[in-house]
Amino acid sequence: MASLPIYEAPGAFPVKPGTGVRPRLTIAVSNPAPISTGRHKVPNLRHRALVVAKWRSLWVLLGFALLGICALVRLSYLGFAGATGQSADITSLLLPARGMIVDRNGTPLARDFRVYSLWFNPKAMTDGSPLISSPREVAEKLHAIFPDLNVAELTRKLSSGEPGYLRKSILPEQANRVHALGEPALEFPQEVTRFYPQGTTAAHVLGFVDAYGNGKVGMEEVFDQRLKSADGRSQTTALSIDVRVQGALEDELGRGMQLSQAKGAAGVVLDVETGEILALASLPSFDPNKIDRASTPNIFNRVTNQVYELGSTFKPFTVASALDAGTITNLGRRWPAGPLHVAGFTIHDSHNFGASLNVPETLIHSSNVVTAQIADELGGARLKRTMELLGMNERPHVELPARGFPIWPSGVWPRLRTMTVAYGHGIAVTPLHLASGYAALVNGGIWRPATLIKRSPDQIPQGRRVFTAATSARIRQLLRMIVSFGTGRKADAPGFRVGGKTGSAEKPGAGGYQRHSLIATFAAAFPMDHPRYVVIAMMDEPQGTEATSFQRTAAWNAAPVVSRVVPRIGPLLGIMPDETRDIDISDLRPLVPAGADKE
Amino acid sequence: MNLTRDRVHSIGWMTVLLVCGALSLALMLRVNAVKSEVASSEKHIVYLKRDIDFLQTEFQTRSNQQQLKALNDLEFGYEAPRAEQYIEGERQLAALGKPAAPGAPAPIRYASADEIGDTPGEGGGNGGGNGGGQLLAMVSPVTGAAAAKTKSTSEAVREDEAEGKALAREAKDLGKRLARIETAGDAQ
Repeated sequence: MASLPIYEAPGAFPVKPGTGVRPRLTIAVSNPAPISTGRHKVPNLRHRALVVAKWRSLWVLLGFALLGICALVRLSYLGFAGATGQSADITSLLLPARGMIVDRNGTPLARDFRVYSLWFNPKAMTDGSPLISSPREVAEKLHAIFPDLNVAELTRKLSSGEPGYLRKSILPEQANRVHALGEPALEFPQEVTRFYPQGTTAAHVLGFVDAYGNGKVGMEEVFDQRLKSADGRSQTTALSIDVRVQGALEDELGRGMQLSQAKGAAGVVLDVETGEILALASLPSFDPNKIDRASTPNIFNRVTNQVYELGSTFKPFTVASALDAGTITNLGRRWPAGPLHVAGFTIHDSHNFGASLNVPETLIHSSNVVTAQIADELGGARLKRTMELLGMNERPHVELPARGFPIWPSGVWPRLRTMTVAYGHGIAVTPLHLASGYAALVNGGIWRPATLIKRSPDQIPQGRRVFTAATSARIRQLLRMIVSFGTGRKADAPGFRVGGKTGSAEKPGAGGYQRHSLIATFAAAFPMDHPRYVVIAMMDEPQGTEATSFQRTAAWNAAPVVSRVVPRIGPLLGIMPDETRDIDISDLRPLVPAGADKE
Repeated sequence: MNLTRDRVHSIGWMTVLLVCGALSLALMLRVNAVKSEVASSEKHIVYLKRDIDFLQTEFQTRSNQQQLKALNDLEFGYEAPRAEQYIEGERQLAALGKPAAPGAPAPIRYASADEIGDTPGEGGGNGGGNGGGQLLAMVSPVTGAAAAKTKSTSEAVREDEAEGKALAREAKDLGKRLARIETAGDAQ
């Protein structure tokens, strides 16, 4: 039979379920006679295709619905939970990595600072050379931005292929210029560094932070744990320092040091009632922002770490001790002032003050001979006891880690030792010991430990009584007389009622004391009618220059520093100059001859 | 559909529930949007605070004790004030403004060269009224035109007289006169 209906069976269609293509029917009918089997298959086919299509759209719908539910769940979650977890992270961004240190008035002394640094990352470019231009060209371009960088050194670093710092701390505009070079390998990450806005001011008090983030030397070391803790980071740490006073002290000490060509200088300003240190300066100083090899020796703190024989500044201690002990009952009593021979040793004065001196004259002229005799009458045990009460036998009381141990003669003091200690020889203490001692001398006789932490009125320590209030009042008069009529005249600041004592001690060296290397100290307190602050100025090996009238002693170099510091700091500390006021010295005035101040 | 009373009720409740649900969903979305806005503002604030910190540090560095000292040495040369430059208290300050006692020597005055024809003291007790005519006018160096025309002396005197007359008129109304406040502008 030639005319068979030709059709292609459904199974022969290359239809995959799911493609959605309708099966192509090619029905070639040569004979119009219907064939029943074929007619049934076509609707079946269509039905199945429809079912497949429905299923597919259902799946798609389900997928969308699932997505929608997910989105809704997420939305409602966010709606309930919100962005609470995020805000805590944000505020922590403001928290410094290390707490801020401020002065007593809240001026920041040390704070965190975010700086850009220039980092070479050779892996920034995945293929080929890490740099687009040659290392030499890049180095020259960088040199144009940072003139202090060395081109050869830079080229070596850039061509080595090692990641590393090209420069630490760059300015934002410099970062922009580096960015404009178009080198992906030059990155400038922001890094947190410790920054000291006041520069070298109060450097010895603050110290610095090393590359590992640990505080060194000053209060940075003392407070290291606290500054890193969560508590210390969120609040500031207040020091007792007043940065204006510190600035004035450093400025004037630096000036005095330059004028007298001294090797170094040191100074302290101490609150006599609370023991707070308002300024502590050791020159030459260092910059805590930039610690390098050249500045390392200057990190040494002369005020708390170095002990000196402070010479005649000890005489008021001796006189006060004798007044307390009752061995001086009459300030007008006269002692012979000729050279004193004791145990094969002769005690001299700087020059001849006449046959005899009374107590005010002894202090005014700074006589070693008479002070030695006063100490001799007082006795070694009592003088030693006074010195112990003043803390001269232990490291200075302050928080700083670097504290020098005094050269303290232990045991029973023989006669000669007692005499030399009376005028500040044979005992070596730090300038801070002296400041604390003078505070006790003028504040009514109470010794209190010094501190660099701001004290609130309820935190002021009780202290211990060293001198009676009457003795302290007497010493105030005597100290004022030294400045009015005696060796301390150059320390006077009109209206500020300064009182104090000079001290010029020869430095011990190989083969005895060296005549030409002195430690010149001036220990002062003001205002003498109601002492509030002690000011110590010390010069290490001052030279006789034109500015100091070719003199090396404290009256010519350390005393003028005090006279310039006091008017600068007095008004800042609430002490206004007043020339109509002064401590009453009328009862002692007759003991000093009328011409004493015209010397 | 047979809408019984109960069915209507339940349909109503369902609708209310749906509407409430939709509203609360919308509110939730709104709250969420505001929250994220707040978070982004907070972030912005934090970044601004950081910028402030940066600038503060810069100011502190530029105004540190050494910089101030260098600036003073170079520009101002200020020194610590002396004792006589201080005033003890309000009493001493007030004493400076006390009128001279009868028979007291005339105080030494500086810089009081008045122009001829200028009549000081006629400004109805207003001492500042004479200064206007003595000031030089600002003249532009390019055009030569005066920047601000200053009043001539005669004008100022005339104004003062007019003001005096006005005050005399107002004298009857004491409250008005007392309530009058002298401003800096009136003094010129």
